[in-house]
Amino acid sequence: MKYKYTEINLAGEDFYLLPQKAIYRPRLKQLIISDLHLGKASHFRKQGIAIPIESHLKDIDKLHFLIDSWKPLSVLILGDLFHSDYNKEWLWFKSLLLQYSQIQFILVEGNHDILKDDNYKVPNLLKAEYLIEEDFIFSHHPLKQNNKINFCGHIHPGIKLFGEAKQSVTLPCFYHNKFQFILPAFGHLTGLYQLEREEYASYYLVLQDKVIKL
Amino acid sequence: MSIATNWFKLKKWKPFAFQKETWKAIAEDKSGLLNSPTGSGKTFAIWFGVLEAYYEKPNTKKNKKQETGLHCLWITPLRALSKEILLATQQVSKDLELDYKIALRTGDTTTAERAKQRKRSPQALITTPESIHILLASKEYDKFFSGLEFIIVDEWHELMGSKRGVQVELALSRLKAINPDLKIWGISATIGNMEEAKEILLTDRMANAVTIKADLEKKIIIETIYPDVVEKYSWVGHLGIKLLPKIIPIIDKSNTTLIFVNVRSQAEIWYQKLLEEAPHLAGQMALHHGSLSEDTRKWVEDNLHNGKLKAVVCTSSLDLGVDFHSVDSVIQIGSPKGIARFMQRAGRSGHHPGAFSKIWFVPTNSLEIIEGSAIRYAIENNLLENRVPYVRSFDVLIQYMVTLAVSDGFTADKLFDEIKSTHCYKSITREEFNWCLDFIVTGGNSLKVYDEYHKVVFIDGLYKVTNRTIAMRHRLSVGTIVSDSMMHVKFMGGKKIGMVEENFISKLKNGDVFWFGGRNLELVLVKDMEARVKASKKNTGIVPAWLGGRLPLSYQLSNSIRKQLDDYKNKDIHNEELKQLAPLLELQNKVSFLPGKNELLIEQFKTREGYHLFVYPFEGRFVHEGMAAILAYRIGLLEPFTFSIAMNDYGFELLSDKKVDMDLILDNNLFSPEFIYDDVLKSMNSIELANRKFRDIATIAGLIFTGYPGHQKKTRHIQASSQLFFKVFEDYEKDNLLLRQAYDEILDFQLEIIRMQNAFNRISQHKVIVTYPEKPTPFSFPILVDTLREKFSNEEIQSRIDKILNSVQKNEV
Repeated sequence: MKYKYTEINLAGEDFYLLPQKAIYRPRLKQLIISDLHLGKASHFRKQGIAIPIESHLKDIDKLHFLIDSWKPLSVLILGDLFHSDYNKEWLWFKSLLLQYSQIQFILVEGNHDILKDDNYKVPNLLKAEYLIEEDFIFSHHPLKQNNKINFCGHIHPGIKLFGEAKQSVTLPCFYHNKFQFILPAFGHLTGLYQLEREEYASYYLVLQDKVIKL
Repeated sequence: MSIATNWFKLKKWKPFAFQKETWKAIAEDKSGLLNSPTGSGKTFAIWFGVLEAYYEKPNTKKNKKQETGLHCLWITPLRALSKEILLATQQVSKDLELDYKIALRTGDTTTAERAKQRKRSPQALITTPESIHILLASKEYDKFFSGLEFIIVDEWHELMGSKRGVQVELALSRLKAINPDLKIWGISATIGNMEEAKEILLTDRMANAVTIKADLEKKIIIETIYPDVVEKYSWVGHLGIKLLPKIIPIIDKSNTTLIFVNVRSQAEIWYQKLLEEAPHLAGQMALHHGSLSEDTRKWVEDNLHNGKLKAVVCTSSLDLGVDFHSVDSVIQIGSPKGIARFMQRAGRSGHHPGAFSKIWFVPTNSLEIIEGSAIRYAIENNLLENRVPYVRSFDVLIQYMVTLAVSDGFTADKLFDEIKSTHCYKSITREEFNWCLDFIVTGGNSLKVYDEYHKVVFIDGLYKVTNRTIAMRHRLSVGTIVSDSMMHVKFMGGKKIGMVEENFISKLKNGDVFWFGGRNLELVLVKDMEARVKASKKNTGIVPAWLGGRLPLSYQLSNSIRKQLDDYKNKDIHNEELKQLAPLLELQNKVSFLPGKNELLIEQFKTREGYHLFVYPFEGRFVHEGMAAILAYRIGLLEPFTFSIAMNDYGFELLSDKKVDMDLILDNNLFSPEFIYDDVLKSMNSIELANRKFRDIATIAGLIFTGYPGHQKKTRHIQASSQLFFKVFEDYEKDNLLLRQAYDEILDFQLEIIRMQNAFNRISQHKVIVTYPEKPTPFSFPILVDTLREKFSNEEIQSRIDKILNSVQKNEV
């Protein structure tokens, strides 16, 4: 299935913004996602809060779909892969890793990634605090720096749109200003943080089947 | 009757007939309902019955001179009231040197005190519905309650219309199972459905129960304050402040005046304006509403008690509660909305024997003058509102199941029988009960694999909570009052001023000035859910507009208003209100039409804004909202239209950019009372409405945990918004009963579906009168001006997004 994406160019390189709340980077054949918060449903359920677990299956399915469609060489995850302490949902993700053993997965650590190190011991999974390239720096938290473009997550950005007659809707978005590129949260069980509109920033809204620039 | 007789002799008082009647009924082992207004000696009517039963009846346990345990539970909705009852009953024990001990058990009771009560119970506990459930969540509660003989439910009319009433029903069902001979007494002010109130409380005790009425109703005198000239075009709020100078002489002449307004923002404005107009009241006037800190409110109440205040501007926060003897005048600003509420407010004045209650009514627009006439008619004819009880509240049931699982556990069959005996749950099926059980045991999981759900477990034949963290978290969450996300407002030094909705503060920038608690405050910083402020010298500030609090006109009051209009039309101008309104009503009749009892008026005209269609059912704003949506929807089925909807308590408006052909409405019978239920769900954005309602339900059912006091951070990993739950349930668990409950509550309470159905039934019998005035009429003007304008939209979410995007993009270019 082919679907619509929005192409942008940063520091001379092309990036595709996908409506699945991910980025594809054709030069490196790399998928970038952020803030999956896997295991959140199980974590809640362990504490006696009955949230349906099926929603996380949807996130895993979405990841399968992206990998099958784009056939990337690597998948870069900008933190908050797993929501909290260990629970069995980790096994879902592990089996996905094993299934795509030829693909390199890289996890840039987020504040939620508190699993014991043993759990990350999978041959095709790498864990790092930051990832630095010539023009870009990848992290979970937005970094205060002004040399390179910082790809990051953590915020779960959303933007509120007002229509006529007091109607409004808040949608997830990619946020871009001079030194920062913030990804929307990939996970289904996440909220949105409502951004204030800034003059010198761009916003790419995620709709059901397309990404559009505001 | 020796105890009562002795005490009344001691006090040199004479008991009322209803008090004697109550003592007699209690002595005969009856349960009952005491229908009595506040401050009428109702406490003693019950109390001496309880004392006599304790001392005079031979009971094996008491003769042994040992621990007798808890004998009486007294439930009140308000902490202020429980304090008053404690003092009154303790005084009796002191006066007569009785060893009958009474203690308080509320959210304020310290842990040490609670432990003491458990170890050596007083004979009576004065408590709240929440505190009883917390007692039910403690180990071996059945022993603690084993000697219980009486449960008194005070202000039952107040509890009955809320989920706290459901908590009382559940607690009663459990305590009756422990003590089959338990006697139940309710105390209630007069409401429309008195008999139903009695049945819900007493259930199986009805056969051996009495109703006792205290015949002490005071006469209420209503006086409307008129403007010098009744303007014919007037909108809400337009008139109110203009009449302010006329209430100052009333305040000056009275001992203490209570000035009731309907919403908190109005209270802030009136307080400010009164001070401007009458500076001599500074220092003798105060403000009282639900968002002010408890200290502030207590200060106001104390000073009302000792008569140090000349005037207090207040909201429904002072509707209930302790009597203030110095109050001799009451002023109601704006529509009273309901009759019972108005009478309750009026009853705040004139406590001396033989005194009457005097209340002034200040209309906030010209047309509202008619409500003075309507309310007088309603009171004379005893048209009181019903309190609608909650039924099938699955959220409260789930909370209760976990409560019992936290203490000693329960068996499904026995619990099912017990809850089936309550009014709230008498219609639930075993399947629904099992669903709730499943929800707390398996988390409603269809996907057994991978699951680590843990809450209630089934061991040794009992459903129990074994995990201590879960038990502790549950005890902290017991209750059914879910407050909006509020922020503390504090001075830089730390002194609390009160609570404001987070939403309001989030719209302010540091340095902005706002008016709150009668003070002008400057926002300095926001930190840890606290807004720190300092006093500002600036004179203009914005007033927080609290959400909610916008009650619709009650069914009974709407009826009375239609009756007044009909009277006028029949030249029966029987009071000053109608006389004053004559010019306005005459003009309405001249430029359009004045509808009588069996007529429905529709007006259609064009302005620069577009084509207006006004309909006047006089049914209150909630019903109008639903009616407008249904009418818009039905028109839309015949021809594509986009409408803006506006409404007030008297009528509603559909505004469109092209003309609606009136024949389209009349020939197709668009006011038909059929399929109301289906059409309202299709026409309103019911998903969004239910989503808002779901927050309370999710919190009560234990899905949302607001954190340990002072340790918010520890629980961050298990916090999620109710919207998230709503979305996930909508996607994966459509048959979730909590979700269905949200829709039911929207229909019952937000849309008043039964009332709406009745309104459609009524209207379908009416003659429809259509007029085409050239310009706005006195009836339509207030609605035209009202800003509450909602675009009617029925589109799917995606097309809605596209539409909004389009309009946004248009604006960007």
